[in-house]
Amino acid sequence: MTARRMKLGLFLWATGHHIAAWRHPDAHVTAGIDIEHYIQLARTAEAAKFDMVFCEDAAGLREANVNIASQTSRSIGFEPISLLSALAVQTERIGLVSTASTSYNEPYGLARTFASLDNLSGGRAGWNLVTSASPIEAANFGATGLRPHADRYARACEFATVITGLWHRKPAGHDGESFSVRDPLDVPPSPQGAPVMVQAGASDDGKDLAARTADVVFSAAQTFEEARAFYDDLKGRLAAYGRQPDDVKIMPGVAPIVAATKAEAQAKYDALQELIPDDVGVALLSSYLSISDLGRYPIDGPLPELPESEGMKSRQALVIEQARRDGLSIRELARYFAGARGHWRIVGTAEEIADELQERFEGGAADGFNVMPSWFPGELDAFATLVVPELQRRGLFRRDYEGRTLRDHLGLKRPI
Amino acid sequence: MHFAVSLNIAATGQDVLDFGQISAFVRQAEAAGVDMVIISDVAEGPSTSPFEATTLLAALATVTYRIGLVASASTLAHQPYNLARRFASLDIISHGRVGWNATLRQNPREAANFSRPEGFSDGDFRRRAEEYIGIVQGLWRSWDGDALLFDKAGGRFHDPDRMHMLDHKGEFFAVRGPLNVARSPQDTPVLVMSGLNETDRDFASRGADVILIAEQSADAANAATADLRRRALAAGRKPEGVMVLLTVAIESEPPIDGLRSLLGSSGCDGFNLVLPADVPALQNFTDRALPELRRDGLAGRGQQGATLRARLGLGTGGAK
Repeated sequence: MTARRMKLGLFLWATGHHIAAWRHPDAHVTAGIDIEHYIQLARTAEAAKFDMVFCEDAAGLREANVNIASQTSRSIGFEPISLLSALAVQTERIGLVSTASTSYNEPYGLARTFASLDNLSGGRAGWNLVTSASPIEAANFGATGLRPHADRYARACEFATVITGLWHRKPAGHDGESFSVRDPLDVPPSPQGAPVMVQAGASDDGKDLAARTADVVFSAAQTFEEARAFYDDLKGRLAAYGRQPDDVKIMPGVAPIVAATKAEAQAKYDALQELIPDDVGVALLSSYLSISDLGRYPIDGPLPELPESEGMKSRQALVIEQARRDGLSIRELARYFAGARGHWRIVGTAEEIADELQERFEGGAADGFNVMPSWFPGELDAFATLVVPELQRRGLFRRDYEGRTLRDHLGLKRPI
Repeated sequence: MHFAVSLNIAATGQDVLDFGQISAFVRQAEAAGVDMVIISDVAEGPSTSPFEATTLLAALATVTYRIGLVASASTLAHQPYNLARRFASLDIISHGRVGWNATLRQNPREAANFSRPEGFSDGDFRRRAEEYIGIVQGLWRSWDGDALLFDKAGGRFHDPDRMHMLDHKGEFFAVRGPLNVARSPQDTPVLVMSGLNETDRDFASRGADVILIAEQSADAANAATADLRRRALAAGRKPEGVMVLLTVAIESEPPIDGLRSLLGSSGCDGFNLVLPADVPALQNFTDRALPELRRDGLAGRGQQGATLRARLGLGTGGAK
């Protein structure tokens, strides 16, 4: 029996995951309109034997305030399914996973599209199921407001049932609450049978849906304890659906900054932090706190007392606790959260980063990681040349692909 | 003289084409000077193709360099915001060589699989399609060509004044915009319209860049072309800003002499040849018909511009 090996995804995002990545002197600033850039990133990740590249998605702007948005690189980019279809024929082994929302698509169309991507890539496609929670997106689809969380999940569950039925060649015909589909899918199955199903929801509804349908779960956790609790929770839900713990791979996000020495890595991080415009940082912080007027408080003063949020309750509590515990000013707090969007950040040498990843992997808190380089291409190159070889030396990560398909890489069963 | 070939990969009843065969065919068409290839994937019955047209187009964009790449996509199968994004992205991936073939025919099979079991009435479908296409074109203009500043030192990624909301509220759709994909390298992707009936002609001549007609005789084609140009002029467009291609379905080998005389008397800007989607037919076409068409000047006379618009001699993106 071979040793358990960690799975690695590369989370692509144009100029990088740090909010100020695009301002880094060496960041590829035209990334959002440059297909060659993405081909290069995917090939770098493939040479490093990553399991997959992953694209998030939103059908609209990220930030409603146009002046704030114009100071970030996130208002434009490629539609991910087109992007991955192009990458499919420019790479050979790496998995290609895209987000697509159940809120504004139809299952038959998405089933065809991902089946086509799966065929184009020889069995390397995956779909990250999300429901859309942004009012900016809703306004692009005729909605005047967001549908309630439970309604979004009811639609998502029906969507998942229909799409997996289509992929798994179940008998045709569905007439449900949100969708009706008459025919079987008219795209033949790829070498991996059906695209890999990915999910990232952290609510109870989200975790149950993942336990029922997902092959891979992306998560966000700052501490080992949080990561371990999520891992145990999700794996614990599998038995109810007749599934084994190993049927689902849990991959928390990690935002590493690596250099030859700790001091050098810290200097790289500090330099990026200095590039965050205050109003951009405060706007992001406001969104985590679900308040609109944080900007009227002195930026070097403490976080004011806030009413409890009706939005992202758990995120708000986490931010407030951090502020009180460390005595951070609004500016310091804004910079802290702007760097990695609340994901786990590690700054250090390859050995130090490998230590941390190993601890969570072996400690029952992760099956692998979704790697979020701060800026492209530099931090991906650094991870691929420094951290990956260290993980390989420790026997924690593959030296070559085990097979051809994404299911092969992830050690997942082929669907019947 | 412009020349397009259409390939419906969903045509059933023969061996399916794999990506290598399709890309080899498109590259040969490119080498022979064909202006664009139009790919669709919808049939009355279940398709046997492994591919969907827009994803296939993205892949083809990375292995070709000059030929225009057009995909059919229906207004039933996608939301307009999603479809506008897909084609805007394809256009950037292809460096400005993409078009959308918006067919104005309702496909019952799509209605049945896309949660519209009863379909739309003809009138509703037409009004909806017109509204839909207008939204897509409007979204394609969300960003001015010079909106992206990339000013690292000044912290200005884009100019907020050069990004535009759409704020569309119509009978069937409400779409705020803007699109979250940058402006097309060719201003806007080329809009091809097909499947027109008499009542669609006004709409098509107002908004389309390329119109595919399928008249049965030279006289009928002549009349239809003249009619479309007249309507374009009445809508305030330059008549030559609308490219009219006569669609001809061929079984095996195109009758070159017949084509030449048909073209001379049809008043059209060129041809759209519909090819059977099987390997022998494609090989026959590239090995025998294309060289002959080229020698006769029926293929290969496109402008040598980098974008599909430039190649077709079209101005910036359609009617406003």
